Amino acid sequence: MIDRILDLFFGPNPEFRQIVAVTLRMSLFSTLVSTLLGVPLGVLIGANEFRAKPLVSRLVDTLMGIPPVVGGLVVFLLLSRSGPLGSLKLLYTVTAMVIAQVLLITPIITGMASNIVSIRAPSIRETCHGLGIPPGRRLWYTILECRVPFISIVLAGFGRAIAEVGAVQMVGGNIQFKTRTMTTAIMMQSNMGYFDLAVALGFVLLIISFTINSLVHLIQDRERRD
Amino acid sequence: MIEIADLRVVMADRTILDLPRLAIQAGRRYGLIGENGSGKTTLLRVLAGTLLPDAGSIRGLDPRTMGYLPQSPYVFSFSVLRNVVLALQDSPTAEKDALAALEKVGMASFIRHRADRLSGGEAQRVALARLLAKAHQVLLLDEPSSATDIRGMDAIEQVLLDYWESNACTLVFSTHSPAQALRLAQEVIYLEDGQIVEMGSADELLRSPKHPKTRAFLNHWLIDQQNNHSA
Repeated sequence: MIDRILDLFFGPNPEFRQIVAVTLRMSLFSTLVSTLLGVPLGVLIGANEFRAKPLVSRLVDTLMGIPPVVGGLVVFLLLSRSGPLGSLKLLYTVTAMVIAQVLLITPIITGMASNIVSIRAPSIRETCHGLGIPPGRRLWYTILECRVPFISIVLAGFGRAIAEVGAVQMVGGNIQFKTRTMTTAIMMQSNMGYFDLAVALGFVLLIISFTINSLVHLIQDRERRD
Repeated sequence: MIEIADLRVVMADRTILDLPRLAIQAGRRYGLIGENGSGKTTLLRVLAGTLLPDAGSIRGLDPRTMGYLPQSPYVFSFSVLRNVVLALQDSPTAEKDALAALEKVGMASFIRHRADRLSGGEAQRVALARLLAKAHQVLLLDEPSSATDIRGMDAIEQVLLDYWESNACTLVFSTHSPAQALRLAQEVIYLEDGQIVEMGSADELLRSPKHPKTRAFLNHWLIDQQNNHSA
């Protein structure tokens, strides 16, 4: 198995390296966009009290559980030739895959960030109010206090992005040397009966997942030690 | 003077604070006593502005010159020194003032420690130093020594008395202990079910209460103390 993986990585056929590169590019970019959208949104929802908060929280919770194929279908319909964004010609591109993933991951990051913030925010708010610390700085301290869970949340988002298959398959089309990712390749190879490559790809996915989890633990352990 | 009129706080269809009139004289020390749920914390939170009342008005309280210590103050996961400095960010002498405040509460040797790793009593002293590092005209403290031992409590009381004297501020604090109220307050307010049962000078109210409810509360407290002592 190790020989097979090494051959895939360093052998003459560039396809495997290309699949891994597309997967990482798509996952990193969609996690970055989702983080930039989801963390501030989560902080705003979690740190503030407003009348529509229960409704907004329910909406975010619902979107957190959106089935990937449904998310993929929405993006597919938006980007298809007859859809409202069809003129952009983004369907079956890595950009379309990123859009679909952002749709799926942003609510997850928002919901988790909002939960974390809402646990600490009331106490921080009351303490800062008592000390005369202005709201802007109060929010900054809230973000600082949640920095470690935020890192874990972002890495969880990346884990979700790299493992996603349904939406990516729908809007990316699993096109060789263009939009094929590890998960779509595993599915295709399994369907074709080429289990060797599927297992090797699965193994690489597991290694990446293990690396992410190790990173999360490392950060948490460092925080506990400091 | 802080004037409270027709103040009412309702939560889940239950009135948890109902104060038709209350006048807090400037420069005096007030102790709020009462059982759990009597309205002490609610009154302090309303005065501090962290809880909006359902009705009524408060006059004579400027939020800019008020300092408030909640029952469970948040200590940030920074160093003890930075925790105090963050309350003094605009001051050019922030670090010096923070050190002086920490010295007063006996936490100067902890300045490099992470504040969120301290014990409850130590964290409470850091939170108090953070509040007292700045000059306030009105100081609202919700059980300022609840997490400390007897020695720590004495030290905190002395720090508060010194602060009050040097800043000529109004001090309003809540406590479960009538003995602490007697040591620290000039005026005592006994609250029950969100209402003021009795109010008067600390000496008079705690040594010879007029209202039967106040007497009953003080008797219960004395019995508890005796039981704790004999146990």
